[in-house]
Amino acid sequence: MTNYFDIDDILAEDELVPAIFREATNGVGLFDSTDDTNKVEPGSKVELPFWLARELHLRQAVTVSVPPCFNKRTREEIDADAAHVDLRIRCPYFYELGYKIAPLVGDKTIGLVLLIAFRTRYKEVLIKAHTAFAVAPTFLSLLTEEEVKLYKAAQSSAVAFKKWRMGGPRFEKASVLGRKRKPIE
Amino acid sequence: MYGKKASELVKEFANSEPGQLSAFNNDLFSQVLEECNGHLLHLQSLLSKMQEDGPDDQTSKNADHFGALMHHLSIVRNKRCLMAYVYNRAEVIQHLGWTIERVLPEEIEEKLSNPEKDYFKNHSATLQSYMSELDLDLAVDMVPPKDPYIKVRVLEEIGNVVLSDQIANLACHAILFLRRTDAEQYISQGLMEELSS
Repeated sequence: MTNYFDIDDILAEDELVPAIFREATNGVGLFDSTDDTNKVEPGSKVELPFWLARELHLRQAVTVSVPPCFNKRTREEIDADAAHVDLRIRCPYFYELGYKIAPLVGDKTIGLVLLIAFRTRYKEVLIKAHTAFAVAPTFLSLLTEEEVKLYKAAQSSAVAFKKWRMGGPRFEKASVLGRKRKPIE
Repeated sequence: MYGKKASELVKEFANSEPGQLSAFNNDLFSQVLEECNGHLLHLQSLLSKMQEDGPDDQTSKNADHFGALMHHLSIVRNKRCLMAYVYNRAEVIQHLGWTIERVLPEEIEEKLSNPEKDYFKNHSATLQSYMSELDLDLAVDMVPPKDPYIKVRVLEEIGNVVLSDQIANLACHAILFLRRTDAEQYISQGLMEELSS
Protein backbone atom coordinates (compact mmCIF):
# COMPACT_ATOMS: atom_id res chain seq x y z
CA MET A 1 0.00 0.00 0.00
CA THR A 2 1.48 3.27 -1.06
CA ASN A 3 1.37 6.43 0.96
CA TYR A 4 -1.92 8.31 0.77
CA PHE A 5 -0.07 11.59 0.30
CA ASP A 6 2.36 10.30 -2.32
CA ILE A 7 2.39 12.85 -5.14
CA ASP A 8 3.73 10.41 -7.73
CA ASP A 9 1.19 7.78 -6.86
CA ILE A 10 -1.60 10.32 -7.27
CA LEU A 11 -0.31 11.44 -10.64
CA ALA A 12 0.24 7.88 -11.81
CA GLU A 13 -3.41 7.13 -11.11
CA ASP A 14 -4.37 10.06 -13.29
CA GLU A 15 -3.23 8.28 -16.45
CA LEU A 16 -6.02 7.42 -18.84
CA VAL A 17 -6.95 3.83 -19.53
CA PRO A 18 -9.42 2.60 -22.11
CA ALA A 19 -12.62 1.17 -20.68
CA ILE A 20 -16.00 -0.05 -21.90
CA PHE A 21 -19.15 0.50 -19.88
CA ARG A 22 -21.04 -2.67 -19.01
CA GLU A 23 -23.83 -0.94 -17.14
CA ALA A 24 -25.86 2.14 -17.90
CA THR A 25 -24.95 5.05 -15.67
CA ASN A 26 -27.15 8.03 -14.90
CA GLY A 27 -26.36 11.57 -13.97
CA VAL A 28 -22.76 11.87 -15.06
CA GLY A 29 -21.95 14.76 -17.33
CA LEU A 30 -18.61 13.17 -17.95
CA PHE A 31 -18.68 12.87 -21.69
CA ASP A 32 -20.20 14.88 -24.49
CA SER A 33 -23.73 13.67 -24.29
CA THR A 34 -26.09 15.24 -26.74
CA ASP A 35 -29.22 15.05 -24.60
CA ASP A 36 -29.82 16.42 -21.13
CA THR A 37 -30.09 13.11 -19.36
CA ASN A 38 -26.32 12.82 -18.98
CA LYS A 39 -26.69 9.13 -19.34
CA VAL A 40 -23.94 6.75 -20.38
CA GLU A 41 -25.20 3.76 -22.32
CA PRO A 42 -23.76 0.30 -21.82
CA GLY A 43 -21.16 -0.48 -24.43
CA SER A 44 -19.79 3.07 -24.62
CA LYS A 45 -16.08 3.16 -25.18
CA VAL A 46 -14.37 5.78 -23.06
CA GLU A 47 -11.01 6.69 -21.59
CA LEU A 48 -11.15 6.97 -17.82
CA PRO A 49 -8.46 8.07 -15.41
CA PHE A 50 -7.11 5.04 -13.62
CA TRP A 51 -8.44 5.99 -10.16
CA LEU A 52 -11.98 5.96 -11.51
CA ALA A 53 -11.54 3.00 -13.83
CA ARG A 54 -10.18 0.74 -11.11
CA GLU A 55 -13.09 1.20 -8.73
CA LEU A 56 -15.68 0.86 -11.47
CA HIS A 57 -13.92 -2.21 -12.82
CA LEU A 58 -13.92 -3.87 -9.41
CA ARG A 59 -17.67 -3.23 -9.16
CA GLN A 60 -18.12 -4.60 -12.68
CA ALA A 61 -19.54 -1.42 -14.07
CA VAL A 62 -16.84 -1.12 -16.70
CA THR A 63 -14.27 -3.39 -18.29
CA VAL A 64 -10.76 -2.04 -18.39
CA SER A 65 -8.46 -3.02 -21.20
CA VAL A 66 -4.71 -2.70 -21.55
CA PRO A 67 -3.63 0.89 -22.25
CA PRO A 68 -1.94 1.57 -25.59
CA CYS A 69 1.45 2.16 -23.94
CA PHE A 70 1.72 -1.60 -23.47
CA ASN A 71 0.83 -2.50 -27.04
CA LYS A 72 2.65 -4.89 -29.29
CA ARG A 73 4.74 -2.22 -30.94
CA THR A 74 6.11 -0.93 -27.65
CA ARG A 75 6.93 -4.45 -26.59
CA GLU A 76 8.81 -5.11 -29.79
CA GLU A 77 10.78 -1.91 -29.38
CA ILE A 78 11.63 -2.82 -25.81
CA ASP A 79 12.78 -6.25 -26.92
CA ALA A 80 14.95 -4.69 -29.60
CA ASP A 81 16.65 -1.96 -27.57
CA ALA A 82 14.96 -1.05 -24.33
CA ALA A 83 17.42 1.69 -23.44
CA HIS A 84 16.38 3.96 -26.29
CA VAL A 85 12.64 3.61 -26.31
CA ASP A 86 10.84 6.86 -25.58
CA LEU A 87 8.75 5.69 -22.64
CA ARG A 88 7.99 9.19 -21.48
CA ILE A 89 5.82 10.02 -24.45
CA ARG A 90 3.97 6.73 -24.02
CA CYS A 91 3.35 7.18 -20.33
CA PRO A 92 5.43 9.15 -17.82
CA TYR A 93 4.40 6.66 -15.16
CA PHE A 94 5.03 3.58 -17.30
CA TYR A 95 6.15 1.27 -14.46
CA GLU A 96 3.64 2.45 -11.89
CA LEU A 97 0.73 2.16 -14.28
CA GLY A 98 1.85 -1.23 -15.49
CA TYR A 99 2.14 -2.45 -11.95
CA LYS A 100 -1.34 -1.23 -11.13
CA ILE A 101 -3.07 -2.35 -14.29
CA ALA A 102 -1.64 -5.87 -14.55
CA PRO A 103 -3.78 -7.46 -11.81
CA LEU A 104 -6.92 -5.79 -13.18
CA VAL A 105 -6.66 -7.03 -16.73
CA GLY A 106 -5.01 -10.30 -15.75
CA ASP A 107 -2.24 -9.91 -18.27
CA LYS A 108 0.78 -11.72 -16.89
CA THR A 109 3.11 -10.60 -19.67
CA ILE A 110 3.06 -6.97 -18.55
CA GLY A 111 5.22 -7.73 -15.52
CA LEU A 112 7.82 -9.34 -17.73
CA VAL A 113 7.89 -6.37 -20.08
CA LEU A 114 8.37 -3.99 -17.16
CA LEU A 115 11.17 -6.08 -15.72
CA ILE A 116 13.08 -6.32 -18.98
CA ALA A 117 12.64 -2.62 -19.69
CA PHE A 118 13.69 -1.53 -16.22
CA ARG A 119 16.72 -3.80 -16.03
CA THR A 120 18.18 -2.58 -19.27
CA ARG A 121 17.35 1.05 -18.76
CA TYR A 122 18.52 1.18 -15.14
CA LYS A 123 22.01 0.21 -16.16
CA GLU A 124 22.05 2.82 -18.89
CA VAL A 125 20.76 5.55 -16.57
CA LEU A 126 23.39 4.85 -13.91
CA ILE A 127 26.26 4.74 -16.37
CA LYS A 128 25.23 8.04 -17.90
CA ALA A 129 24.65 9.73 -14.55
CA HIS A 130 27.98 8.65 -13.07
CA THR A 131 30.28 9.27 -15.98
CA ALA A 132 28.99 11.93 -18.33
CA PHE A 133 29.24 15.55 -17.21
CA ALA A 134 26.51 16.78 -19.46
CA VAL A 135 24.08 14.28 -20.89
CA ALA A 136 22.31 15.13 -24.09
CA PRO A 137 18.86 16.45 -23.21
CA THR A 138 17.41 14.05 -25.74
CA PHE A 139 18.36 11.20 -23.44
CA LEU A 140 16.57 12.69 -20.45
CA SER A 141 13.43 13.25 -22.46
CA LEU A 142 13.12 9.49 -23.00
CA LEU A 143 12.95 8.66 -19.30
CA THR A 144 9.88 8.10 -17.19
CA GLU A 145 9.40 10.02 -13.95
CA GLU A 146 10.88 7.21 -11.91
CA GLU A 147 13.95 6.98 -14.09
CA VAL A 148 14.50 10.73 -13.93
CA LYS A 149 14.50 10.43 -10.16
CA LEU A 150 17.05 7.64 -10.30
CA TYR A 151 19.16 9.67 -12.67
CA LYS A 152 19.14 12.67 -10.39
CA ALA A 153 19.92 10.58 -7.33
CA ALA A 154 22.84 8.94 -9.09
CA GLN A 155 24.14 12.28 -10.27
CA SER A 156 23.94 13.88 -6.87
CA SER A 157 25.77 10.94 -5.32
CA ALA A 158 28.52 11.33 -7.92
CA VAL A 159 28.77 15.04 -7.11
CA ALA A 160 28.84 14.34 -3.38
CA PHE A 161 31.62 11.80 -3.87
CA LYS A 162 33.68 14.26 -5.85
CA LYS A 163 33.17 16.93 -3.23
CA TRP A 164 34.24 14.58 -0.51
CA ARG A 165 37.44 13.74 -2.36
CA MET A 166 38.40 17.29 -3.21
CA GLY A 167 37.38 18.86 0.08
CA GLY A 168 36.00 22.37 0.14
CA PRO A 169 33.39 24.34 2.02
CA ARG A 170 31.08 22.08 3.91
CA PHE A 171 28.59 24.59 5.14
CA GLU A 172 25.98 25.59 2.70
CA LYS A 173 23.23 28.07 2.42
CA ALA A 174 19.83 26.57 3.10
CA SER A 175 18.67 25.16 -0.21
CA VAL A 176 15.32 26.93 0.02
CA LEU A 177 17.12 30.24 -0.27
CA GLY A 178 19.20 29.05 -3.18
CA ARG A 179 17.31 30.43 -6.12
CA LYS A 180 15.97 33.53 -4.52
CA ARG A 181 19.31 35.24 -4.31
CA LYS A 182 19.93 35.54 -7.99
CA PRO A 183 17.65 38.51 -8.71
CA ILE A 184 19.26 40.48 -5.86
CA GLU A 185 22.76 40.18 -7.18
CA MET B 1 -13.32 15.20 -17.02
CA TYR B 2 -13.76 14.73 -13.30
CA GLY B 3 -10.82 15.30 -11.01
CA LYS B 4 -8.93 17.32 -13.61
CA LYS B 5 -8.54 20.46 -11.55
CA ALA B 6 -7.38 18.56 -8.49
CA SER B 7 -4.68 16.80 -10.44
CA GLU B 8 -3.59 20.13 -11.91
CA LEU B 9 -3.05 21.30 -8.36
CA VAL B 10 -0.95 18.26 -7.53
CA LYS B 11 0.99 18.62 -10.78
CA GLU B 12 1.79 22.18 -9.88
CA PHE B 13 3.36 21.01 -6.66
CA ALA B 14 5.21 18.19 -8.40
CA ASN B 15 6.70 20.58 -10.94
CA SER B 16 8.21 22.89 -8.36
CA GLU B 17 11.78 21.98 -7.45
CA PRO B 18 12.08 19.66 -4.46
CA GLY B 19 12.37 21.64 -1.26
CA GLN B 20 11.14 24.82 -2.92
CA LEU B 21 7.69 26.27 -2.48
CA SER B 22 5.58 27.94 -5.08
CA ALA B 23 2.81 30.32 -4.11
CA PHE B 24 -0.21 28.70 -2.52
CA ASN B 25 -2.76 28.39 -5.29
CA ASN B 26 -5.84 29.64 -3.52
CA ASP B 27 -7.75 30.05 -6.73
CA LEU B 28 -7.43 26.51 -7.96
CA PHE B 29 -7.83 25.16 -4.45
CA SER B 30 -11.24 26.75 -4.01
CA GLN B 31 -12.25 25.68 -7.51
CA VAL B 32 -11.63 22.08 -6.52
CA LEU B 33 -13.68 22.58 -3.37
CA GLU B 34 -16.50 23.96 -5.49
CA GLU B 35 -16.26 20.94 -7.75
CA CYS B 36 -16.66 18.75 -4.67
CA ASN B 37 -19.82 20.61 -3.71
CA GLY B 38 -21.14 20.10 -7.22
CA HIS B 39 -20.48 16.38 -6.94
CA LEU B 40 -22.26 16.29 -3.61
CA LEU B 41 -25.38 17.88 -5.10
CA HIS B 42 -25.43 15.35 -7.93
CA LEU B 43 -24.87 12.56 -5.46
CA GLN B 44 -27.73 13.65 -3.23
CA SER B 45 -30.18 14.09 -6.09
CA LEU B 46 -29.31 10.63 -7.43
CA LEU B 47 -29.72 9.08 -4.00
CA SER B 48 -33.11 10.65 -3.43
CA LYS B 49 -34.16 9.57 -6.92
CA MET B 50 -33.19 6.02 -6.06
CA GLN B 51 -35.38 6.15 -2.99
CA GLU B 52 -38.36 7.58 -4.86
CA ASP B 53 -38.19 4.96 -7.57
CA GLY B 54 -38.62 2.19 -5.06
CA PRO B 55 -37.40 -1.35 -5.50
CA ASP B 56 -39.40 -2.21 -8.67
CA ASP B 57 -37.38 -0.46 -11.33
CA GLN B 58 -34.17 -2.44 -11.07
CA THR B 59 -32.45 -1.32 -14.25
CA SER B 60 -32.78 2.40 -13.72
CA LYS B 61 -31.88 1.93 -10.10
CA ASN B 62 -28.65 0.27 -11.11
CA ALA B 63 -27.85 3.12 -13.45
CA ASP B 64 -28.50 5.63 -10.69
CA HIS B 65 -26.38 3.61 -8.38
CA PHE B 66 -23.36 3.73 -10.66
CA GLY B 67 -23.88 7.41 -11.32
CA ALA B 68 -23.86 8.07 -7.60
CA LEU B 69 -20.79 5.89 -7.26
CA MET B 70 -18.89 7.94 -9.82
CA HIS B 71 -19.66 11.16 -8.00
CA HIS B 72 -18.66 9.59 -4.74
CA LEU B 73 -15.35 8.40 -6.17
CA SER B 74 -14.68 11.83 -7.61
CA ILE B 75 -15.16 13.43 -4.21
CA VAL B 76 -12.80 10.92 -2.62
CA ARG B 77 -10.25 11.53 -5.33
CA ASN B 78 -10.48 15.32 -4.99
CA LYS B 79 -10.07 14.98 -1.28
CA ARG B 80 -6.92 12.94 -1.71
CA CYS B 81 -5.43 15.53 -4.07
CA LEU B 82 -6.23 18.43 -1.76
CA MET B 83 -4.88 16.62 1.28
CA ALA B 84 -1.70 15.67 -0.53
CA TYR B 85 -1.19 19.27 -1.69
CA VAL B 86 -1.54 20.65 1.82
CA TYR B 87 0.42 17.84 3.45
CA ASN B 88 3.39 18.00 1.16
CA ARG B 89 3.62 21.76 1.48
CA ALA B 90 3.47 21.40 5.25
CA GLU B 91 6.44 19.02 5.09
CA VAL B 92 8.48 21.64 3.23
CA ILE B 93 7.45 24.32 5.72
CA GLN B 94 8.42 22.08 8.61
CA HIS B 95 11.83 21.68 7.05
CA LEU B 96 12.17 25.46 6.83
CA GLY B 97 11.93 25.60 10.61
CA TRP B 98 15.16 23.60 10.82
CA THR B 99 17.17 25.43 8.24
CA ILE B 100 16.36 29.11 8.56
CA GLU B 101 14.84 29.23 12.03
CA ARG B 102 12.50 31.94 13.22
CA VAL B 103 12.71 34.59 10.54
CA LEU B 104 11.13 33.79 7.21
CA PRO B 105 12.46 35.81 4.29
CA GLU B 106 9.77 37.90 2.66
CA GLU B 107 9.94 36.15 -0.70
CA ILE B 108 9.10 32.86 0.96
CA GLU B 109 6.53 34.23 3.36
CA GLU B 110 4.41 35.74 0.63
CA LYS B 111 4.02 32.30 -0.91
CA LEU B 112 2.38 30.82 2.15
CA SER B 113 -1.30 30.86 2.92
CA ASN B 114 -2.37 32.21 6.31
CA PRO B 115 -2.81 28.81 7.97
CA GLU B 116 0.63 27.85 6.66
CA LYS B 117 2.19 30.94 8.23
CA ASP B 118 0.63 30.00 11.54
CA TYR B 119 1.87 26.47 11.11
CA PHE B 120 5.40 27.68 10.53
CA LYS B 121 5.25 30.01 13.51
CA ASN B 122 3.93 27.34 15.82
CA HIS B 123 6.30 24.71 14.55
CA SER B 124 9.41 26.82 15.01
CA ALA B 125 8.15 27.98 18.42
CA THR B 126 7.79 24.35 19.44
CA LEU B 127 11.28 23.62 18.18
CA GLN B 128 12.71 26.60 20.05
CA SER B 129 11.02 25.69 23.30
CA TYR B 130 12.23 22.11 22.99
CA MET B 131 15.77 23.28 22.38
CA SER B 132 15.71 25.69 25.29
CA GLU B 133 14.40 22.93 27.49
CA LEU B 134 17.30 20.76 26.42
CA ASP B 135 19.64 23.76 26.58
CA LEU B 136 21.09 22.67 23.25
CA ASP B 137 20.85 24.21 19.81
CA LEU B 138 19.93 21.26 17.61
CA ALA B 139 20.18 23.26 14.41
CA VAL B 140 23.95 23.77 14.58
CA ASP B 141 26.71 21.32 13.70
CA MET B 142 24.65 19.61 11.03
CA VAL B 143 28.05 18.83 9.49
CA PRO B 144 30.50 17.18 11.90
CA PRO B 145 33.09 19.80 12.88
CA LYS B 146 36.80 19.52 12.16
CA ASP B 147 37.92 22.79 13.68
CA PRO B 148 36.10 25.12 16.09
CA TYR B 149 36.94 28.14 13.93
CA ILE B 150 36.23 28.66 10.26
CA LYS B 151 37.07 31.36 7.75
CA VAL B 152 34.05 33.13 6.32
CA ARG B 153 33.31 36.00 4.01
CA VAL B 154 30.39 38.29 4.82
CA LEU B 155 28.09 38.69 1.84
CA GLU B 156 25.63 41.22 3.19
CA GLU B 157 25.99 44.02 5.68
CA ILE B 158 25.09 42.67 9.13
CA GLY B 159 26.70 45.23 11.46
CA ASN B 160 28.11 44.89 14.94
CA VAL B 161 27.08 41.64 16.53
CA VAL B 162 27.86 40.14 19.90
CA LEU B 163 29.15 36.65 19.28
CA SER B 164 29.93 34.02 21.85
CA ASP B 165 33.63 34.93 22.07
CA GLN B 166 33.93 38.42 20.63
CA ILE B 167 32.11 41.48 19.37
CA ALA B 168 32.57 41.50 15.63
CA ASN B 169 31.82 44.06 12.97
CA LEU B 170 30.30 41.98 10.21
CA ALA B 171 30.71 44.47 7.37
CA CYS B 172 30.05 43.49 3.79
CA HIS B 173 33.01 41.65 2.13
CA ALA B 174 34.91 41.31 5.41
CA ILE B 175 36.82 38.06 5.76
CA LEU B 176 37.20 36.79 9.30
CA PHE B 177 37.58 33.83 11.56
CA LEU B 178 34.51 32.95 13.55
CA ARG B 179 33.45 30.12 15.73
CA ARG B 180 31.57 27.56 13.67
CA THR B 181 28.56 27.73 15.91
CA ASP B 182 28.30 31.49 15.46
CA ALA B 183 28.78 31.39 11.72
CA GLU B 184 26.47 28.51 10.97
CA GLN B 185 23.17 30.35 11.21
CA TYR B 186 24.44 33.23 9.03
CA ILE B 187 25.65 30.82 6.40
CA SER B 188 22.40 28.94 6.25
CA GLN B 189 20.56 32.24 5.90
CA GLY B 190 22.82 33.14 3.00
CA LEU B 191 24.46 36.14 4.66
CA MET B 192 27.94 34.60 4.73
CA GLU B 193 29.85 31.97 2.85
CA GLU B 194 32.47 29.59 4.11
CA LEU B 195 35.89 29.92 2.52
CA SER B 196 37.88 26.77 2.16
CA SER B 197 41.44 27.14 3.31
